[in-house]
Amino acid sequence: MRQVITASLNGRAYQLEDDAYEVLKAYLGEAATALSGNPDKDEIVADLEQAIADKCDRYLNPHKTVVVRSELARIIEDMGPVDGATPTAAAGPAPTPGASAGAEARPAADGGAPKRLYQISEGAMLSGVCTGIAAYLAVDVVLVRVAFVALAFLTGGAAVLAYLVLMFIVPYASTSEEHAAARGLPFNARALVERAKQKAAEFANSADWHGSGRQWKKEWRRARAEWRHEWRRARAEWRGRHWAPTPPPPPPPPAPAPYAAHVVTGLLLAVLGVVLAVITIGWVLAIISLLTTGAIFGWWLPPGVPWWVGLIVLVVLFNVIAWPLKAARRAAYHPRGGYHGPWVAAWDGLLGLAILFALAWYGYHHVPQLRELFDHVTDAIERTGLMV
Amino acid sequence: MVPFLNKVASEIMNLDQKLSPLRKGLLEFLVLKIVSGTTVYVADILKRLAGTEFATQEGTLYPLLSKLRREGLVDYEWQESEAGPPRKYYRLTSAGQAQLAELDDYWARINKTISELGN
Repeated sequence: MRQVITASLNGRAYQLEDDAYEVLKAYLGEAATALSGNPDKDEIVADLEQAIADKCDRYLNPHKTVVVRSELARIIEDMGPVDGATPTAAAGPAPTPGASAGAEARPAADGGAPKRLYQISEGAMLSGVCTGIAAYLAVDVVLVRVAFVALAFLTGGAAVLAYLVLMFIVPYASTSEEHAAARGLPFNARALVERAKQKAAEFANSADWHGSGRQWKKEWRRARAEWRHEWRRARAEWRGRHWAPTPPPPPPPPAPAPYAAHVVTGLLLAVLGVVLAVITIGWVLAIISLLTTGAIFGWWLPPGVPWWVGLIVLVVLFNVIAWPLKAARRAAYHPRGGYHGPWVAAWDGLLGLAILFALAWYGYHHVPQLRELFDHVTDAIERTGLMV
Repeated sequence: MVPFLNKVASEIMNLDQKLSPLRKGLLEFLVLKIVSGTTVYVADILKRLAGTEFATQEGTLYPLLSKLRREGLVDYEWQESEAGPPRKYYRLTSAGQAQLAELDDYWARINKTISELGN
């Protein structure tokens, strides 16, 4: 569900999705900047608004009353940059070199795009501090996270405190304008339209399962709404059966199969989640053990191997182990959508796990060093258990 | 060889940029010409220019029309439209007609000069 903002275009009300509204606001803001000093500025802006309104009308009908961003981006592209040539610059019939293309009317704001630190919740693991820092520094978020973890150990936990402080101080980027500022990108209609076009092109290239991006979005929304509806109904039914004294509502008509599939998938994913959590805890313990004692649960690194190599091996190992589990969990976010569907993804994850266990079993029985490590790990876990 | 090819490639790319001010300067002339026929609405002007070398957009045309009006070359009147709010219909003023005649004359002379220099 998106928020809708009502905008007045030359005296008539138009409903726009919030991000479409931002594109419009940016375009008209740029127009006003380009026309500053023009005695007919207000009139031209009103004309432009009217032209945009006319173009919006083409996308609207009694069954569709809201203009979305992609439509508005096309409208703005159609309108073109507002020519800010001042009346004196273009006097006379001959082309004067001073009054050249509209590209020169670009506002000065373009030069130094504002750059600010924001928290970004998209792709965040905890709060979005790392994603925000990564956006600010224009580096991969993984690097920031690794640096943060390393810093946490090196500073004896002070970095964690700093993270908590940042979490409360740094604001979240919620509007497109703020997202642009978080990356230090220029925010104006043209830049926005450029980025939108680029994204659309990327999407058109990557998504072959439903043709256009808009259709895909619609399909995805529909699937999500349906799933949510089913879940609510099932929950209501379940509650009725267990707690409510009133008779339970009538059983849901057809389509129980996909729902059951969702429940099983959900259970499967919960189990996988627990496994993933256990592995993660083991991993963190292993890192702590390596950093505090120089050995992994009492298992010494082979001579000549520095501790940081052990750390890298641990990180790689964890990712190898966690990958199938994460793949399976990802399926939870794509009920009935996605490229493979939840079942394939879940089984994919299980299969990965089975392979992993088979490999571990093989290693335990055929590689003495690995066997040693396993034994030490179990010993250490037992000891930790005794201590607790 | 390679620097030479690079130079040729950049010349070709630059040509369009070079001609852009020329087109822009002529746009005013063309708009006056279109308006001189009948009273027109902005969408009509855009339609007439679309598909030509002078294809333009609202973002350029509205400021240009406003400038021409300020110079007293064109004027507009509001007319009711069958759908939507009233629209501005532009027409040429007598000053505009005089200037268009001058421009036509000037253009003819330029053309003559160019073709004579070519031979």
